Order: sequence, then C-alpha cells, then structure tokens
Amino acid sequence: METTAALRQALLADREQTLTGIYQRTFPMVRRYVQQHGGSAQDAKDVFHDALVIFYEKVVGETLVLSASASTYLVGVCRNLWRQELSRRTRQPAISLTDEHTEVAEEAELAEQATLSVLEQVERLGERCKDILLAFYYFQQPLEQIAATHQYRTVRSATVQKFKCLERLRNSVRALVSAATA
Amino acid sequence: MRPTLEYLRQLERHLLGQHTAAEAEAWRVRQLLDSELAADADTQQLLYQGLQVAGRQQLRRELELIHARLERPSRRQTWWQAATSPLRSLLVRRSRGH
Repeated sequence: METTAALRQALLADREQTLTGIYQRTFPMVRRYVQQHGGSAQDAKDVFHDALVIFYEKVVGETLVLSASASTYLVGVCRNLWRQELSRRTRQPAISLTDEHTEVAEEAELAEQATLSVLEQVERLGERCKDILLAFYYFQQPLEQIAATHQYRTVRSATVQKFKCLERLRNSVRALVSAATA
Repeated sequence: MRPTLEYLRQLERHLLGQHTAAEAEAWRVRQLLDSELAADADTQQLLYQGLQVAGRQQLRRELELIHARLERPSRRQTWWQAATSPLRSLLVRRSRGH
C-alpha cells in the first residue's frame, strides 16, 4: 500500500496520471455499489467526483493519513455519500422555516454571492495568472514546481508573479465592489 | 518586491498563520493604527475563498476529462457488440479452421 506522503507527492508531481490510476482502480467498484443500491451510472460518477475532490484536498492538505489503500478509502466515502444522497432524496421537509432561519440563509447567500463574484474575476484573469494562483492556493503545488512549469528562472520570480496575479485579482474584485456600491 | 506586493505578502502571512510571535505582535499594533488593515485582510480572505471554489471547479473539469477518456465507447462494448460477440467468436474460429 502506498503511504499518504507518497500519494501526496504523486498528486503534486503528476495530478492527471495519479488521478487516472486511482480512477481506473476505483470507479468500477463505486459504480457497482451505487447501481446495486438504486442509483444510475451518472449518480455513481457524481458521487465519485465529490469523493475525489474531498480526497484530493485532504491528501494535499495533509489532513488525512490513510490506514488502507486509496481505493478502499474512496469506496467508503462514496458509500457514505450515496447513503446521504438517498436519504436526502426521500426526506420531506418536517419543519417550517422561522425568521431566524431566513436571516441565516440570507447571510449565507450574501457570502456566497461575494465568493461567486471573485470566481467570475478569476475566470477573467489570463490563463497564466489563473494557472499560477490555482496551482498555489488550491492545488498546493510548491513554488519550485510552479516556477519550473511557467519557466521562471528563480522561485523568487515565481513568488513575485504570484503576488502580481493576486494584486490583479484584488483590484478587479475591488472595482466590482465599488461599482456595485456606487 | 514593490510595496503593494509586499503588503499582500504580509496579509497572506497573517491570514495563513505564518507570522512569528514578534510579527504577530507588530501586526496587532499596526491594526490599532491602520483602520484599513482589517478590511484589506477581509478582502484577501475573500480572494482565497474564491480561489478555493475556482480550484474545485478546475479539479471537477479535470475529473470529467478523465472519466470521458476512460469511459469512451470504444473501450467498452456497445450493446450490439455484446449481443453479437458469441457469433463473431464463432465466425473467427471457423475462419481459422479453414
């Protein structure tokens, strides 16, 4: 069995190849389970992708130590997610919403809108900036690797470029907020 | 690094909890003197949240591509191929027999 540290290294070094290997080994088991428990192949894919996103974030964020293989862990997560989904599909709203609930929902919606505005601006950054920011802040690739991928001669150059990209994002988000409040 | 970028770096170190004890203390003092600091930190936090969501979307797109590649019809038998497979095997065996 691969250690979590080795798996993390593999995901950082070659995400596509590592995820493809995990996909090939695990998805058939997940599909079989979901289809045997009232779901479709599409349901299986959705659940598996949700599990892989959780898995990626936990492994690269070093908040998970695997005590079994990655496939065993993922199948376990998928089973839980699918059980939750089945229960969500059959559940009926038992209580009516109070004013307090509505207030909380409105606050959550505002926060979500702010995040979505940032998301929109991320999509408008050039490919290079978007790649650098996502590589560092989401995919958690080391700056050495980002420098090599984008052909910066030094890690310092890559670091400066990363902050330039962050500044661009910040300025566009601020401009959006100013326009919205004007 | 120019001052604006250095400022972003300082905000990042604060938000990611990378400040040393001395830097954290200096930060607390600075917060008392600079009314913009908290608002700038909130904006930067918002950027990180947006980048998390954007990163998840990117990962999901990559997973869709992997799925599409692995589940291409050519890799799996269509119902027609599955239904006619025994017949095709028989024909192959017979042609080899001749």
